[in-house]
Amino acid sequence: MDTYVLGLALHPASSWVADKRLEEMVFDTAKAALDDAGITRDELDHVTIAACDELDGRSISSMLLSAPAGAYLKDEIKVTDSGLIGLCLEAMRIESGRFHLGLLSSWNKSSKAPFEDVMRMRCEPFYTRDIGLNASIADGFFARAVCDAYGISESDANGAVRASYKRASDNERGMRAAVPSLEEIEASPYVAAPLRKMQQAPVTDGGVSMVVCSGAWLKKHPHRRPLARLSGVAWRVDNYQLGKKRLSALTGFKESFQKAIAMSGLRDFSLLDVVELDSQTAFHEVAFRRALGLPDSCNVSPSGGPFAQNPYFCTGLVNAAEAVLQISGRAGAVQVKGTKRAAAHGCHGFAQQGNAVAIFEGA
Amino acid sequence: MVKQGSDKNENVIYGEWHVRYKYSVGKVAGKFFDGLKQKKILATYCDKCKLSFLPPRAYCERSFEPCSGWIEAGLEGVIEAATIVTAEFENLPKPPYAIAYVRLDGVSTAMINFVRGLDLSDVKSAAERLEPGTRVRVEFKDNPEGRITDFHYVLPTP
Amino acid sequence: MPKNRVAVIGVGETVFKNNIVDKTYVELAQQAAKAALDDAGLTPDDIDAVVFSMAPTQFMGVNDVDKWAVDLVWASGKPFMRVHTGGATGGSALHAGYAHVASGMYRTVLVVGADRVTETPDAQHVLNLIWDLFYEHDFALNTVTMTALATQRYMHRYGTTEEQFARVVVRSRKNALKNPYAHLKGNITVDDVMKSPRMSWPYKLFDICPRSAGAAAVVLANEEVTKSHCSRPAFINGIGGRTSTVFMGDRVGPFADAELSDEAEFVSAGKEAYAQSGITNPMKEIQVVELYDPFSSTQFPQLESLGFCERGQAQNLSDEGAFEMGALLSVNPSGGTLCSNPIGVTGLVRVADAALQVMGKAGEGQVAGVQNALSTAIGGSVQFVNCTILGADYI
Repeated sequence: MDTYVLGLALHPASSWVADKRLEEMVFDTAKAALDDAGITRDELDHVTIAACDELDGRSISSMLLSAPAGAYLKDEIKVTDSGLIGLCLEAMRIESGRFHLGLLSSWNKSSKAPFEDVMRMRCEPFYTRDIGLNASIADGFFARAVCDAYGISESDANGAVRASYKRASDNERGMRAAVPSLEEIEASPYVAAPLRKMQQAPVTDGGVSMVVCSGAWLKKHPHRRPLARLSGVAWRVDNYQLGKKRLSALTGFKESFQKAIAMSGLRDFSLLDVVELDSQTAFHEVAFRRALGLPDSCNVSPSGGPFAQNPYFCTGLVNAAEAVLQISGRAGAVQVKGTKRAAAHGCHGFAQQGNAVAIFEGA
Repeated sequence: MVKQGSDKNENVIYGEWHVRYKYSVGKVAGKFFDGLKQKKILATYCDKCKLSFLPPRAYCERSFEPCSGWIEAGLEGVIEAATIVTAEFENLPKPPYAIAYVRLDGVSTAMINFVRGLDLSDVKSAAERLEPGTRVRVEFKDNPEGRITDFHYVLPTP
Repeated sequence: MPKNRVAVIGVGETVFKNNIVDKTYVELAQQAAKAALDDAGLTPDDIDAVVFSMAPTQFMGVNDVDKWAVDLVWASGKPFMRVHTGGATGGSALHAGYAHVASGMYRTVLVVGADRVTETPDAQHVLNLIWDLFYEHDFALNTVTMTALATQRYMHRYGTTEEQFARVVVRSRKNALKNPYAHLKGNITVDDVMKSPRMSWPYKLFDICPRSAGAAAVVLANEEVTKSHCSRPAFINGIGGRTSTVFMGDRVGPFADAELSDEAEFVSAGKEAYAQSGITNPMKEIQVVELYDPFSSTQFPQLESLGFCERGQAQNLSDEGAFEMGALLSVNPSGGTLCSNPIGVTGLVRVADAALQVMGKAGEGQVAGVQNALSTAIGGSVQFVNCTILGADYI
């Protein structure tokens, strides 16, 4: 692959960005990414957006949000699956040879819309909606299934919650929430058993933009130093219909990692220095780790992952930004020294129906 | 809120979705709406492009820089585009009514609002009176509330 | 230059109707997917990746409906993404599919979508909600009124009459008689159009597209698969797209970058697509256009912006019969969007109909000697535009 990240920006994490319209939040982040890359909007030859109308609180939300994302009079395409899927499309647009310098943006202002009700409306109306699934309930099913499949105990899960918040507390880019005690976690109410409230990563507001370029562009601009090279990218969707196998086999998750690793030319996962996982709950965190069998030498979610910030729709792309920051030595207090290869994972849909993985290396 | 039912021999399931939102007003809209309460129309401008914008916005889409400041728009302007709505649409005002994009004096872009006080009984001749290039003026409500409907456009009295 | 050649090797469409009561949304998508696979001579296992085309889901009432459709379009276990650029979605989805293959990362892609615009009676209410709540929502902007505004402006600039637009409707409905999938079709007169109920000046009911349910799909393939499976593919030789500002008031007057009523964003999008495909004289080198035209007025500005004729000339060419099937330029031989508009997938239907012409599979509606065809898609208030050039040979 010959695709590079030239610059990036993360919007400050918040439980509710109250002082800006969504479009202002998007503009601030997009502009900051352009500044970070040292390029102007004029130089872009395309824009890619990843966003969700229902979470944005308006139909065809890109009508209002494409220009703040830098797309005025640019060739722009929007995907609706997740921020990290936006990176997948962006990578293909660059790899096609048709485009050379793009701005990718994704965001989440869940405070604006009734998050779980939006999720509930993802139920098909015939068999599921009357019974009612939403993100939490689907994750409750997921938790049950992976507990059985991977032998995960409540204590494993609660330990993972504390460990995640501990890592997150060092991350200046995150919410820096207090690390809860085991007692607090154990006492938090069930949301959808066996999932407890404090085992969920709270959804936050945020956004991320990245400037992405081709190797050909870099050759023409030799004074530019990219932050990282995208060496592998893969994504998979699983069945919509939930069931034991679908919930516990983590097929899409594993295949996305395997395919991305293969593309990057790495022999196996052990060569990854950092892996940022999209663990929406503690059960995801434990199950994902066990499914990949990562060695201890691999630092998993040094950023704290969604427990640092969870702008739900683009948490996977935030993970990608964190991975790039690690590669480029800009991760601050959570920097893992000497990071040469980092993977970022994102998931979306009911009980991680979709998964995507991006692998970065030093440029 | 879903019930099974029959509708003209078709097998259907009914559903409805009522959604409420809270939209942050943001840096710029608040000042604009406050201006309306004082019967002023405030536009933002971009120093780089030398353009001024209605609706006002925090940044310029073309230069991609934050807007430099505010100006007061003139209270007269020119119609750029107009239409007369005669069909009744769900959840929209009862027809007939006219709407137009008007570029107010001193502002680079046009802004939409109702055109009131026009006899709409003969649509074709009313449309002629709203041709692009026609000058109109702004008329404010007596007690503006800080919403875009605080003002509308009127044709100058002949 | 793209790294890899990309061709359409299979097309599937369903009949477009007001409502399709014997199939659910996902079953419709499956029907089109199957038809495209059969047309391409491929099985689901031969498909490497899937792109789903779907615009606002508020019409059919299931959020992220593409995820529900996964199980039925044989996408499970594959790379999958959904594209949404309003009405332009089908064209953008095609461009996303194109990137999958042109990048060399995937050999085959299924691009599929569906819509059921009448699943809700509140369609225009939904479309009113796309407008800025603070500044524009109160003014009853919806797709009809917003386009009416631009058309009033076009008429003022070029002296176009309502009758000239009506003639476009007459031509489209007549062409649609030869399209087994078209929703509206028939022999109507200019008088029929002029007498239909007034909606928003200058539109009458017949100037406006129907709300359709239906689905469409295309199979894209790389050079190797194309050579072994398709004797007459439609090569994607050029793509171009532009997104403009949501503020229509920025696109009128002396400071506009691209004039609203001219749909002038198509100028640069078209130029890029032409440069890619080596086309220098569209009118001479392109035989068929399948334009995205939900309103009778939108063919003229598109044709002019895409360089087929000078500004203000399209209406004269139209009156002279230059756009009839088999004439100087066959414009919307399928009947176009004026006759069928399953919004979430309409842009893909445009591509599909153009591809059928290039592949020689357009049946009764086939224009002779199609070497190149161009399709367009439009979303928002002509805010999102894209175009695709398909050719019988690769450039």
